Amino acid sequence: MAASRYTFGMPSYPSFKVIFLPVLAAVAVCFGTPTSAAPFTPTSDSEVVERLPGRASDPAIRRVDSLRKQLAARPDDLALRVEIARRYFDLAMAQGDPRYVGYASAALAPLAKTNPDNADYAMARGLIQQFSHAFEPALASLAKASALNPTSAEPLLWRSAIYMVQARYKEAAAECTRATPLAEPLVGAGCSAYVQATSGQLDTAFEALTTAVKVAAQAGPELLLWQNTRLAEMAWRLQRFDAAESYFKTALRQGVTDQFLLGAYADFLIARQRPLEAIKLLTDWERSDILLLRLALAGRVAKDPRADDWAKQLRERFQAANQRGDRLHEQEAARFELDIEGNAVKALGLASKNYALQKEPRDAEILMRAALAARQPKDAQPAMDWLRNSGYQDPSFAQLAAQLVAAGATK
Amino acid sequence: MKRWLVLFLLLLQGVAWAHKPSDSYLTLRAAEGSNDISVRWDIALRDLDYVLQLDRDGNGDLSWGEVRQRADDITRLATSRLALTAAGKPCGLATTSPMQLDKHSDGTYAVLSLMAQCAAVASPVKASYSLFFDVDPSHRGLVQWIAPTAKGVAEAAQALIFSTESADQTLALQPPSAWQTFSQYVVEGVWHIWIGYDHILFLLALLLPAVVRREAGQWVPVPSLMAAVKDVVKVVTAFTLAHSITLSLAGLQIISLPSRLVESVIAASVIVAALNNLRGTVEGKRWLMAFGFGLIHGFGFASVLADLGLPQGALVLALVGFNVGVELGQLAIVAVFLPLAFWLRATRFYRVGLLFAGSIVVALLASWWLAQRLFDL
Repeated sequence: MAASRYTFGMPSYPSFKVIFLPVLAAVAVCFGTPTSAAPFTPTSDSEVVERLPGRASDPAIRRVDSLRKQLAARPDDLALRVEIARRYFDLAMAQGDPRYVGYASAALAPLAKTNPDNADYAMARGLIQQFSHAFEPALASLAKASALNPTSAEPLLWRSAIYMVQARYKEAAAECTRATPLAEPLVGAGCSAYVQATSGQLDTAFEALTTAVKVAAQAGPELLLWQNTRLAEMAWRLQRFDAAESYFKTALRQGVTDQFLLGAYADFLIARQRPLEAIKLLTDWERSDILLLRLALAGRVAKDPRADDWAKQLRERFQAANQRGDRLHEQEAARFELDIEGNAVKALGLASKNYALQKEPRDAEILMRAALAARQPKDAQPAMDWLRNSGYQDPSFAQLAAQLVAAGATK
Repeated sequence: MKRWLVLFLLLLQGVAWAHKPSDSYLTLRAAEGSNDISVRWDIALRDLDYVLQLDRDGNGDLSWGEVRQRADDITRLATSRLALTAAGKPCGLATTSPMQLDKHSDGTYAVLSLMAQCAAVASPVKASYSLFFDVDPSHRGLVQWIAPTAKGVAEAAQALIFSTESADQTLALQPPSAWQTFSQYVVEGVWHIWIGYDHILFLLALLLPAVVRREAGQWVPVPSLMAAVKDVVKVVTAFTLAHSITLSLAGLQIISLPSRLVESVIAASVIVAALNNLRGTVEGKRWLMAFGFGLIHGFGFASVLADLGLPQGALVLALVGFNVGVELGQLAIVAVFLPLAFWLRATRFYRVGLLFAGSIVVALLASWWLAQRLFDL
């Protein structure tokens, strides 16, 4: 849903399809609308009918609530508007709640007329645009932010990330190069290593990032968490499974709760046939949809009694997204259709539509898997072309490509 | 530096969509034969709290009391963000039962039951929706619109999504069923023969002599009703057949004639039919005249039909319906005319007052129409 996902460079596990499909083909489920039909009246005034997220416990939410109150008194305060927007955006990122992006957008809206040429406004606007997959407008806003504030690395790093989603690796690398002198060394190194690892220089990137992390041992926990997660994924692609495991654990030890790290590690555990550990890792994470998808996947393999309920919850969430016409989750929806519902044709439709917009390795992978399962190898051609042109290294991708060629696709 | 750094990391790691975005659910139901639209509106308590601060004690738990006491504020906010307009007039929104709650997949929603009182729902209703757009442009209003349907027709909900880009939409009426289309055009057909005096006068001019017979230069009554019916049937059938042919050809846009010519010939046909009653020249062959001029009258009906507009999806159906309507209207006229004429046929009033003088009046009137139509007076 954001410009990039945590899935960069993560190996796939095509064996899943083989395990699941025969089982899942039989599971054709009908479902009703998510709107239930029977309203009720609570019997007592003291009955708690809703818990508001984080209101009581989260200082970040309390802070932004108080800023909103200030804004009511000073509606023309540009800095205050941008700060509210940025804080809401942070909340959206941290909690995955799209409402906060809406609030951020509303806070910024009046500035489109009053301060269109403010660097902070352009930056915040770019963030919101990329969130809604408006990549070209986002690139333009971020370019403007960079032009107005040339010493800031932030808009450049975001531009690089958007180019990565679009598989425009040269442009992504150029933004990293521009950002490097403006940022902490490990940030610049990570940015470049990330692009290299995806575009044919996995070994070089892995070595460079390993060295950079060693040198920057004093970096903050968030940064270390991120770099170790990336190293784990690279090691996984290099088939160094013990090293991958160790990097994942180092990332977890940073003491920062991060659902994307959890998702990546869960994928690793599932692919290594350790679904029980994946379920344990994701305990109480049902509210995160990407983690719920992993729970449902691991639950199926492990024959966990909760597996059906996880699948049902996911189904309802996709249905709700579909009902409002949301197209932000097509990659996840395609995985759900393929691996949980066993509907390869539907999965292929979603994966194809998704790939027209987003071209990360994970997007290519689901397209190839769905095309193979649906016996439409030609439909995987855009992903095949990407795999050939990018030089992306991953044995599981190579294996998928070989199967597709055998089924009639063009290498 | 620190903050954006974390953001960058988060970006590269992506965002889960752990929660649903903000939606409200509206069911708008219009009943056939009523101008009221019932509204059920489910609005997330979380969204309402964001705007109205329902959580008075700020403990993060919304109690039913905290929500219930603000029911009026909630209703006022909601109704100020939904405008339904029918026939150019706003529909008044009134509460029909106290606010309730319902559980959705992403939390508890307030359920408002309202009634929109519209001037008319026969024309499309315009809906303008803006709930929460000011605080959250990604908010959506998901509307199920159940248009009025005739009895026996299964109701079908139509889904509409209201967003900041589509805040104003039209609640389309159910496309009419085949039977509805057909019966609507039947009624139009009946109506148009009744108000089309030239068609009626032409028909009556041809039918007036059906109850009498010329013998030695004198009109004498036909001996039996059967004889009269036989004559009427011949004339009416010929007229019907003829105008059905041209009505269909013109309705399907296979042939078209200039309307001035058609209207003028129709007027002329009335004159000829009326004058014929004075002389009785085509006594036994009036059905032929009915057929010949009927062809032209068909074009006349077709122009009426063209003004009505034919539904593209049900062209033939509408055409047949209109034709059937014209025939039914005609039969109704005949049903009134024939017994009366048969009863009066032996009277002097009928032969002189109606057949002779009436025909002259009709001929004069039609001459005036002809002049009007020819010279565009």
